[in-house]
Order: sequence, then C-alpha cells, then structure tokens
Amino acid sequence: MSSPQLELRAVTKHYDGGRIEALRGVGLSITAGEFVTISGPSGSGKSTILHLLGGLDSPTTGEVLFQNSPLGSASDTDNYRSRHVGFIFQAFHLLPTLSAIENVQVPMLAAKGADHHVERAETLLREVGMENRLDHRPSELSAGERQRVAIARALANSPGILLADEPTGNLDSENSARIMKILTGIQQDRGMTLIVVTHENEIAASAPRHIRIRDGRIEA
Amino acid sequence: MATQLTFVRFAWKNLWRRRLRTVLTLAGIGMAMGAFVCLVGFSRAFEQAWRQMYANSGTDIAVVAETFLNTTIDQSVGAKLQTLPVIAEAAPMTFNFMGLTADVNAIAYGWKADSFEFSAISITAGTRFHDGQPEILLGDLLADSLKKHVGDSLEIQGANFNVVGVFHGGSALEAGAVIMPLDQMQKLSSLEGKVTAFHVRLKPAPVGESPEHYMARAQGLIESALPGVRAVPAAERASNNQLVLLAHATAWGTSSIALLIGILGIANTMAMSVFERTREIGVLRALGWNSRRVLLLIQLEAAALGMAGGLLGIGFGWLALRILAHLPQTASIVSASFPFPVLAEALAIAIAAGLLAGIIPAWRGARLSPVEALRYE
Repeated sequence: MSSPQLELRAVTKHYDGGRIEALRGVGLSITAGEFVTISGPSGSGKSTILHLLGGLDSPTTGEVLFQNSPLGSASDTDNYRSRHVGFIFQAFHLLPTLSAIENVQVPMLAAKGADHHVERAETLLREVGMENRLDHRPSELSAGERQRVAIARALANSPGILLADEPTGNLDSENSARIMKILTGIQQDRGMTLIVVTHENEIAASAPRHIRIRDGRIEA
Repeated sequence: MATQLTFVRFAWKNLWRRRLRTVLTLAGIGMAMGAFVCLVGFSRAFEQAWRQMYANSGTDIAVVAETFLNTTIDQSVGAKLQTLPVIAEAAPMTFNFMGLTADVNAIAYGWKADSFEFSAISITAGTRFHDGQPEILLGDLLADSLKKHVGDSLEIQGANFNVVGVFHGGSALEAGAVIMPLDQMQKLSSLEGKVTAFHVRLKPAPVGESPEHYMARAQGLIESALPGVRAVPAAERASNNQLVLLAHATAWGTSSIALLIGILGIANTMAMSVFERTREIGVLRALGWNSRRVLLLIQLEAAALGMAGGLLGIGFGWLALRILAHLPQTASIVSASFPFPVLAEALAIAIAAGLLAGIIPAWRGARLSPVEALRYE
C-alpha cells in the first residue's frame, strides 16, 4: 500500500477555550489521487477537518501530516496552501471587483515564478466551460457559473489536492450535477486528490470512499 | 480582451471599488499636501529672495542684536564699526512689514541715501530719495499694484510721502518693496536712533587668507569690539531673519496640522476597507497568500492613496501659489516661480503619510486568522 498523502493523527480541535469540542481524537489518512467525501450533520466537525487538511487552521492536539511531514509553522502552511491545495467554497467567495479571468489569477499572485497568468487562467476557464464569460464580474454570472470560476481558481497553481466545502450547497440539482461532473472529471484526468464535504447523500455516496462524522468523531 | 492581474492592478481595483470614499480621502490628503506645497513653497521662495537680495547688494555680514527678542540695535554702533580694519562699508538699515493700503501689504526698508545697498536695485524712473525728506522709492511690482508713478504721493501710516522713483529689483521681495530714508522709517516705527541691522561689506581678504577664515576672523573682530551684537554671515542671516523664521514656522506648523488630518483620513479609509474586506482577506489567505503579502497589498493601497493625494496637492499648491502671486495683498512677497525641490519633498511626504496611515489597518489585516476571516459575516 502506498504511503498517505494527507494524514490526521489523534487530532482534537477545541474552540471557545475548550467549551466547544469540534473534533475528538480523529485519525484519518488519504492517499494521493483518492476521491473522498465527508458528510455529517451540521456542527459535526466536517468543515473543521477540511480546514485542518487545508492548513487553514491548526489542531488543538495531534498532528496534521502532508507527505509524512507535519504541517508546522505559519510560513509552511502558507506555502502548502499556495502550492499544493486548491479550495472551493459553498459561497464561491469570488472577489466582486474582479472579472472571472482576474479571479482565477488571484492565487497566481501568491506563487513564486508563475508566469503567463492570463493564458493559463483562460485555459482553466475553458476547461470548466467558461470561455465566453472571461471578462464578466461575479455579479454578472449565475450561481453555477460562479462555482465553475471558483473551480478554475482552485486549479490556478496546479495543486495536487482539491478541497471542496459543500460545493453544491447553493446550487440547484442541475448545476449540482454539472459541478460534481466537472470536479470528478478533473480528479480523474489529473490524478488529483479530491475531498468533498457535503450534506447530500447522493454526492456522498458517489465517491469510492465516504467518511461519516458525528459529534467530532469518524463513524465509518 | 482579457487582462493580466498584477498586484498593483489588484490594489487599484480595491481602491476604486468605493469611489466616493476614495475620492473624498484623496481630496483630504490633496488639500493637506496643497497646503504644504503652497506654504512651504512660499516660505522657501521667501528665504531664497532674501539670499538673492543680500547677494545682489554685496553684503557680507549682517550685524544684529545678540538677543532674539530685542531685535533693534543702537545706530551709534555704526561709527565704531567703521573703525574696524576689516570693514569697507557699514550701512544701517531697518525693515518692517507694513500695510500700505487696506489691500496692499509690503516690506518697507529704511536705508541711508548713500547706502551701498542701492547697488542691488536699478532705478528705472525718477531718482534716489534724500535723507530727512518724506520721499520713497517703489518697487516696480508694488508701483503697479498701487498704480503710483513718480511725482505721486502715498500715505503710509498717516504720513504723506512723495514717490521720487521706481526701481527694479532682482527678487519679489525687492520688486514688491518700498524704500524710504532711514530716519523717516525710524520716525514711522517710533524707533528713532535704532536700526534693525548694519549690513557690512568687508575689505578684500588679505593674500593667503582663505575666505572662510577671513569671514570668521571678521565676525570675531566685530563681536569682540561691540559687546551685545552678533555678526552673522549674510547667507545665514537670509535664512534666520525673523520674517523668514516666522514664515517657515507658520508654513510647517499649518502644514503639519493639515497633514495629520490627511493621515487620519487615509487611516480611517484603510481601516474601514480592511473591516469590510475581512472575509475576502480570509479567501486570499485560503488561496495561498501569506500574511506578508496581505500586509503589502494594504500598504500599497495606502501608499497609492498618499501618492495620488500628493500629486493632487501639488496641483492645488501650484494653483494657490499662482493666485497668491497675483493678489495685491501678497504679490510683493510671493514668487510665482514653482519650487521644484518642494514638489519632490511633498510627494515623498505624501507617500510616507500613506504608509504611516496604513500601518495599523495592514497589521490588523495581516493578523486575521484565515478560518475566522472566512466565517466573518
């Protein structure tokens, strides 16, 4: 068996001075190229797991490892997010003053030595079927189109890991299906690791590996 | 046509997002820098005009009272001065700032009719005045403002003076000045027997003695022969006379207050901007931006506000100087020439003001936890 790309070791996460226990000793390992869904009720800790895996937050106790090395200092995690991780959010979080193609270039500004930003952003937007909406601002796009721009943005620095937090939560069923098709297509074509947090059973069940969280613990 | 997103373009888009707020902030810092350019520019030009005036007349040393507050010196000191071996000529003089009419102010000089300082000006109409007579010479700019010609009379502080000549001087200070006999000026100022200074021409330096050494030796000789006076090199006197010092102090004092208000305006704008963009900053962090880059973005926006405000201020200042140079109340002391070093200084101060104003908002933005910022409503 190949070594894990991402790993949580006995991770706990407390908020509000320990009053809220979001995670209670979670252990999890994910291999490169896997498609994993995480589901559970609201407040179960699934988004917290995603934030820890993405280096956005640090555990109260335990360790988060990337390629067998613990995610350490802030500069390590900044570098990790910039080079290895792409985030997709439920609320899209596109920057309202920027056009679609400019939004896709935002992560490229953080990467060292990146060049040909426009050409690359255009290619990514074409990949998600947004080649005719390059210069449109988020307010001029539908919800499904915004999420497609957000997917292109997540791919900007060619990460190996895509983390999606309820990517279809604000979409109708038609757009949900389209977004999941794009995500799984990208995962297969590029051999990326795809981790999707979702409420929807159908999407949760569509992945080869499905993890259920309840009360800060993994059920299955 | 799709555009390349650069760091600078991104900062510009953030600023332009709240146009009205940005424009109002720019107006604030622009007015502050305009005040700086106008006031400091004026005070520097004023100092420059004094230097030029001393240089034109050939004055080497100004002999003045040692004390700062008592700015007059006894005229009888002149006789002693003339006996010193280094001194070629010592001309007693007074000056003051006078209201000539309700609208026109001017610098008034009191000179002896045979003063060597006449070499600094050229009389273009009429003749020199005579000591003891109520006669005056008008600078050509002042004569124009007052619409006075040779043969006209002018009432100054209740006394009538005949305009006996019009002169042209090398600086705005001279072109806009009135010169009258020393005794008449002393009478007008109720300072009979007192002068503001003696302007001294030195004899040529002995062969083998450096000009600097000769100047220092002359100063020492004068001060030891006349206790209670200071012998100040002309260039230093130009920079340190009371009118110039007052102009500098007023200019810097007023500009500093205006600048402080401008800085607070930028700080407020940037603080509001960071507050409103809390979630966006979280998104940037999630997309791989480190806290240093977030800090740089906010500081760039603040510096850009400062720089744009500085450029606007240069425009305001230029306009204000042009207007002042043409107003009768101020034309005699304001030069229309634009002091370019002040512009560079203004731009540097404006950018520094922006950076200073951006420190706290940028620090706050950079410290935001990505997760908390993303959760921010």
